[in-house]
Amino acid sequence: MEPAHPTAGPSVSPSLSPSVSPAPQSAPDPAFPAGPAPTSSISTLTLTRTASPQENPPPRPARMPWATRVARRLVPFGYLTPTIVLLFVLMVVPIVMVISYSFKDNVIVERNPVLVGFANYTQILTDPNFRTALKNTAIFIVGSMGAHLVLGLVFAMMLNSPLLGPLTRSVFRVLYILPWLFTIAVVAVLWRLMLDPAGVVNYVLEAAHLIDGQVDWLASPATALWAVLFINIWSGYPFFMISILAGLQGIPTDLYEAAAVDGAGPWHTFWNVTIPQLRPILLSMAVLDLIWTSQQFALIWMTTGGGPLNSTEMLSTYVYKQAFSSYEFGLASAAAVIVLLLTMLLAFFYVRQQRER
Amino acid sequence: MSAVSGVRKAVRPGRLFGIVTTAAVIGALAACGSGSGSAASGGDVKLEFAQWWAAELPDGAFDKIVADFEAQNPGITVELVTAPYASTKQQLVSGAASRTLPDVVGLDGAWVNDFSQQGAIANLSDLMKDAGYDESQLASQIQVDGSTYMIPVVNFVYPLFVNTDLLKEAGVNEVPSTRTEFVEAAKKISALGDNKKGWALPLDTSAPNGAQNDVMSWLWASGGSMLADGKPNVNTPEVKSVIDMIKGLTDADAVAPGYLTMKEQDKVEKFTTGQIGMMVDSLAHINLIKENAPDLNFEVAAIPATDGYTGKRGIPYASWGIGVADSSEHQAEAFKFVEYLMSKDVNAQLSTLANGFPGNTASKPDFSDSDPKFEEAFTIYQDGTPANEFTGLPKSEDLMRTLNEQLQAVLTGKTSVDDALKNTQDNWASVF
Amino acid sequence: MTTVTTTSFIRRRRKQRLTKVALITGLSLGAVFAAAPVLWMLSTSLKPNGEVMATPPKLISGNVSFAAYTTVLTDPDKLRFFINSYVVALAVTALTLLVAILAAYAFSRYEFRGKRLVNVVIVSVQAVPPITLVIPYFGLMVSMGLYNTYPGLIITHMVFTLPYAIIMMTAYFNTLPRELDEAVKVDGATGWTALWRILVPISVPGMIAVGVYTFMISWNEYLFALTLTRTDDMRTVPIGIQLLMGQHSYQWNEMMAMSILGSIPVLVLFLIFQRRFIGGLSAGAVKA
Repeated sequence: MEPAHPTAGPSVSPSLSPSVSPAPQSAPDPAFPAGPAPTSSISTLTLTRTASPQENPPPRPARMPWATRVARRLVPFGYLTPTIVLLFVLMVVPIVMVISYSFKDNVIVERNPVLVGFANYTQILTDPNFRTALKNTAIFIVGSMGAHLVLGLVFAMMLNSPLLGPLTRSVFRVLYILPWLFTIAVVAVLWRLMLDPAGVVNYVLEAAHLIDGQVDWLASPATALWAVLFINIWSGYPFFMISILAGLQGIPTDLYEAAAVDGAGPWHTFWNVTIPQLRPILLSMAVLDLIWTSQQFALIWMTTGGGPLNSTEMLSTYVYKQAFSSYEFGLASAAAVIVLLLTMLLAFFYVRQQRER
Repeated sequence: MSAVSGVRKAVRPGRLFGIVTTAAVIGALAACGSGSGSAASGGDVKLEFAQWWAAELPDGAFDKIVADFEAQNPGITVELVTAPYASTKQQLVSGAASRTLPDVVGLDGAWVNDFSQQGAIANLSDLMKDAGYDESQLASQIQVDGSTYMIPVVNFVYPLFVNTDLLKEAGVNEVPSTRTEFVEAAKKISALGDNKKGWALPLDTSAPNGAQNDVMSWLWASGGSMLADGKPNVNTPEVKSVIDMIKGLTDADAVAPGYLTMKEQDKVEKFTTGQIGMMVDSLAHINLIKENAPDLNFEVAAIPATDGYTGKRGIPYASWGIGVADSSEHQAEAFKFVEYLMSKDVNAQLSTLANGFPGNTASKPDFSDSDPKFEEAFTIYQDGTPANEFTGLPKSEDLMRTLNEQLQAVLTGKTSVDDALKNTQDNWASVF
Repeated sequence: MTTVTTTSFIRRRRKQRLTKVALITGLSLGAVFAAAPVLWMLSTSLKPNGEVMATPPKLISGNVSFAAYTTVLTDPDKLRFFINSYVVALAVTALTLLVAILAAYAFSRYEFRGKRLVNVVIVSVQAVPPITLVIPYFGLMVSMGLYNTYPGLIITHMVFTLPYAIIMMTAYFNTLPRELDEAVKVDGATGWTALWRILVPISVPGMIAVGVYTFMISWNEYLFALTLTRTDDMRTVPIGIQLLMGQHSYQWNEMMAMSILGSIPVLVLFLIFQRRFIGGLSAGAVKA
């Protein structure tokens, strides 16, 4: 299952972290992990803080006696032991189990399953429902990601405006964070209640003459996918907003002052100062969102169950149905492995893209 | 320099953090100590009973029944493991996979075949023989390959609920007893406007039992069957007439909107709030409806049959079934508990509490405190035959889902009724 | 000359005021989008169950009642859900921080063989769909004797909180100058001392960011909390809310009351830490 990782190089941080940007070209030092790296256009303040470590590389291990050298080498692993043990037992082992299930028939259901090679995979890949699920998942992810980014950015910029008093800002900040506070099970139930054909949403829209008659938001094949997308957007944007807000507050004011001196308008400043400065955050948030949205199960399951007519079927609900409704654990595992590979592929491109930047 | 002052300033929160961490870890460890002690201790037998029933009975009622059992059987304790209906199944599947199923399990007839194939639940015929149990007192047993795997403890029948006020308002004076009358009544109620509809049809696919309660029930009510010699037989004129009727109702806009993802709960909700005139639903809901809408006037009746049908009507039902885990080390004790729940008085008591009908033929539910409608329904029940053909079928939840999906395609105009029935037949046949 | 600047000043003032009006309008519209559903939740929790689906919908019911809250708060079983959620979420937060700090220290301050591999695994782990793991987990937890226990749930949640926590913590440590710990090491102290004496105390904002994030994930986790526990005394709040959805009816008001009660600790946590939370994200995880 190990994903193809990029060829070796001194820089490590890009593969470690969606939120860590590459090292500055100015201070390459192979002895020092390139993590601290500020973006190329970072403030002087950050530069002085992060530039200092490069001046003090750790002592060369080569000069030490053999035993000390080995001990030294083991030190980082000591720190990593809890992580490695936990991830091995609870991640690597189960994944290997899932992969082995995916090559078997009647797994779990029968005491002695038979090996069937790639049969499960061909069956999944030729299933039109799987392709529908793939397509819906793609729409769901792209829609959620786009809306989360835009809403998060717009809300964060409004909240960050210097025109606001501290109290107003705090009140709005709390209001905006509200959707984040509720567990997804509740979000699903709440929106089911509100989007019911006789529910409050239709009532308000009808009163405002925006719609005519009761709309089946979650039950009509034409609107269901957009309805669950909307719910996911509502429940997911606050984390983006907060992260972007944090990013905005980290942009040094002198960059804006410099832009103002150059006579740049707000639009120009936005595209040439704000966006480039936020780029690392936006990218890492996008990747996290991709991961989270692709895993969204409870929301879909509790609002539409993948229906009507598969119009909201996602990869997650597809896998679940294979396992817990059809008892086809072999097929479910094969589908899960395919999902895993797809996500890994995306993660790989992301890592590569980070390295090239 | 700024970093140094940062250190000084931050030390206190750092220490605070340390204390919190330590406290949390100790708390967690202490808690595990108390949490993991669920294994049986001493010579006593501890039975686990996984079910969704306790959540649906009045608070504490089931605990009391269990406590009585423990008092009568010193040395056996029963621990109730309660989950919502939908998650009970998922837990049982996972439990069966790792052979850690609770000793006694609550079952739905739809699950029995799968669990027995998996070797997860024990052959009750053998246990009954070992215990010298008299089977004749059981109203029904769910069998796979001639052996019993589940005993229905309480049965819930699904009659037609009718909102009499809406019916009158629409100018219908008699509760419909034939399909023609039903369709006509549904259309008239829908004609009242104000978003009132004649009927509700939950076709959600995550909990697909609408296929059984709201669709196939019409077939069974007229003596029809979806099986022939235990094999699927869906592509028949009888089934087609049911689907045609449903299609006619949705085309006439006489079905409450949202049916493609409607769940059973939503259906009850709509009836309770007077948005729909009729529904097929569990009798157990009478109290719930009365509690939430004390002023609603409604009646229950047998599900309408095809015009001119005079035979015995099949009454769709669902059960709280019970089974014993194959992996249980205390099967004899577990069966003792089953026996207790099926005993005449306990079974009557449980049925009364649950508003269902007893699984023991000798038990008489106590109607004295309950709604007169129960007694009415009990006569409907005794006049007809309990019918639920999904019970005991392999992957029956999947079968229901297929039917719902095909029906969804029909109702949205994506397929013809004939194609849908053919697809359903092919799909079902491949499962058997 | 002076008149020109005055008019331009006035014009600027007017423009600023207009911007402010537009801003407040925009913010209010956004707030409706964000908060209206929550308001509806609150309103539902105060209605008798029978009135929840009444048509036309009413924001404030004729008979406002706190019965749903009383029911939830006086039922020891339901209170137990809250206690369980606290125990699990706090332990997950504390342990995740502990483990993540150690790992982040290794990533930030050491160069070693296999670093890339461990990195890739940690990043990839986030992409593993939890749904696929349910079945193997069940067997795993049972065989380790951790099924239906707090530790079982805690370590499971940690698998999902740890990767991002390590990433955030590493980024945060990377922003701290290395000469700080080197200075202590010159005095003969070990890396261990440097970590706990120097790095950890000045990383509190970053730790708060990681902590709040971790707490939220654990508090809200649904799938494993459902699968890996089975007795009522081990259930957490999200499952407790689900338990109120019977097979046959929704206890709308109690469900909403419970979810509002359940969200209060998170809200309080956010209110207390919002400055530091945003600061921590800003200083470390995000910008680095």
